Amino acid sequence: MKIKSLFLLIILLAHVASAQQNYIEVTAPGNRALQLAIAPPSALAGGDTKIAGELAELFRFDLTLAGPFAVQEARAIEGKSGIKPGDFDFAPWKASGADLLLKTGYTISGTKLTLECRLYDVVRGSEVTAQRYTGELKELRRMAHTFSDEIMRAVTGEKGPFNGKVAFVSTATGNKEIYLMDYDGFNVQKLTGNRSINLNPDFSPSGREIIYTSYKAGNPDLYRRELFTGTEARISSSRGINIGGAWAPDGNRIALASSKDGHSQIYLIARDGKQPARLTKTAAIDISPAWSPDGATLAFVSDRLGKPQVFIMAADGKNVRRLTTNGAYNVSPRWSPKGDRIAYCRQQGGGFQIYVISPDGSGDTRLTGEGSNEHPRWSPDGRFIIFSSKRGRKEALYVMRADGTGQTRVSRGKGEDSHPVWTR
Amino acid sequence: MIRTVTPQIKNGGLPMMACLSVIIHLVVYFFLLEFHFPTRFKETPVYYVDILNLPVANPQAGATSAGGAPATPSPPAPTPQREMTLPTKSPEKIPARQTAAKPPEQLKPAESAREFEERIARLEREAGARHAASAIEALKNKGFAKGPVGMPGATGTEAGSDYASYIKSRLEDEFKSTIAYQSKAPEVYVKLVISPSGRIIRQQIVKSSRDKVFEDSVFRAIVKAERNFRPPPSGTQFEITVKFSPQGIGKQ
Repeated sequence: MKIKSLFLLIILLAHVASAQQNYIEVTAPGNRALQLAIAPPSALAGGDTKIAGELAELFRFDLTLAGPFAVQEARAIEGKSGIKPGDFDFAPWKASGADLLLKTGYTISGTKLTLECRLYDVVRGSEVTAQRYTGELKELRRMAHTFSDEIMRAVTGEKGPFNGKVAFVSTATGNKEIYLMDYDGFNVQKLTGNRSINLNPDFSPSGREIIYTSYKAGNPDLYRRELFTGTEARISSSRGINIGGAWAPDGNRIALASSKDGHSQIYLIARDGKQPARLTKTAAIDISPAWSPDGATLAFVSDRLGKPQVFIMAADGKNVRRLTTNGAYNVSPRWSPKGDRIAYCRQQGGGFQIYVISPDGSGDTRLTGEGSNEHPRWSPDGRFIIFSSKRGRKEALYVMRADGTGQTRVSRGKGEDSHPVWTR
Repeated sequence: MIRTVTPQIKNGGLPMMACLSVIIHLVVYFFLLEFHFPTRFKETPVYYVDILNLPVANPQAGATSAGGAPATPSPPAPTPQREMTLPTKSPEKIPARQTAAKPPEQLKPAESAREFEERIARLEREAGARHAASAIEALKNKGFAKGPVGMPGATGTEAGSDYASYIKSRLEDEFKSTIAYQSKAPEVYVKLVISPSGRIIRQQIVKSSRDKVFEDSVFRAIVKAERNFRPPPSGTQFEITVKFSPQGIGKQ
């Protein structure tokens, strides 16, 4: 019986192997992006051309930055122009060479808005995904960003980050205050107004709280703030600095640089500031802790070998090893959400440039070249990096794809913007 | 007294050993096969006849001289009808032209110039006809060399390509560009099952590229290509596995 089974297994394996071996090969000589046509948004009832223009511009911005798409500027096509399947013809879109078609329609009733978005596969003539959102008119941009995220999910298999918020530091009022905005620079909200210096915001994993360093009590102390209630607590106020707070992926611990024992070292504290534990014990200056996504490892900056370099250690402070070996001055590391790369800044020619490197030290690659670029922070999906850049008179926030392409300014305020962080 | 002790063979020992021997032989055979042909995937030889791209059951592809068959001269191209030039009545030339066809005829002294021209024309026509008939006869007798369909030395008699080559051609017409996002060198293996009416009844990823954008672009190309598929000439369901990849990306 066993022998019979063995023979059957051998025959089955041979069959599977031969099936995989016999194939024909078809290769594509060219290379291109997905052609995405965005049809002009149509008013299903209660028309407002301003909304249509804003919707089209928002989708164009999101999906151009996204990466897989080449967005076509589409004009209205005569004839059947509905947005539901069967209410329009695919033929003109096919003729324009589009692979995908985005159709949106909206209804305004007082201050209420209903937004209906549908993505079609033009070649197959089928619907890829569709969503309907209902809410206040002022939620228009949030609804549209949410559908941009849905498009990314439907096309690539992974949701986009466009609906996320960005916290940053701005001098719009003359002082360095913490603000919140959409990733594309719209809907700016002021979070702090203490007229002192506020730095290094970081979101909690839930996105409901931030920690930041403020000089409002005279000393650079670390504060935790609930975004929806505005409740605030000082969680680290040791003598000296309490900066660079980084929330652990589990949400229960916070790593920071503190000089309470003399010079700046890396410490761990609980989310309420209790149970402090010192991780580094050197005579050097150790700052800028950054968590790996699994919470098992930390990257940080140390000048223990003379110049600031990026190091990696276990979350208990053991197994310290040097990561960056090129360049004399490497700072501000930040681990990608997938854990495969670490972005950091290198001082070059009087300014800073952003690099990425694998956690094993390989693949050290420069991403920026224009101006001076600092504070790289990953988008929650790891596809993009937001950073501050001085490419003229003022420092502003920019977004780029993780490979350095598509660098786009997103700051729209009048102040100097820096220290961005994208909600997880 | 000396007793010979014979080792007892348990029941089933011999069949077990025979099976073990077969397995070992098979393992050695596959090992040698892999040693001599180390490539991971063996590509099916494809002879793409694009001039006549209609799929046929017995394609006449490849050279007839392959496969060890003796080479035969190709049939002569039909001689264009040339305008007859008036021959000179040179006695040296005429016998030389007639040696290949018939024994030379004696010139009659009373033959007029017109009769002479007619006779020469008739002789040339007969010689041409004989030459063409012998060439056709030689082809008929020889036929085509033995060999698999669609290969050099094929036995097929129809002008066209085999169906796999035809499908490849139609897919290449539509898979013009790589649209990838997560990978720079994606490869996907797709199994296609084509019905007797020429429609795809099943498509299945055999080996994924892990790049959804790329795989969707492949399926869009398949949808476009299917519109031009003709039914399999065999009249039965046709299965084929196709590897899609960007051009110029080799195996590592």
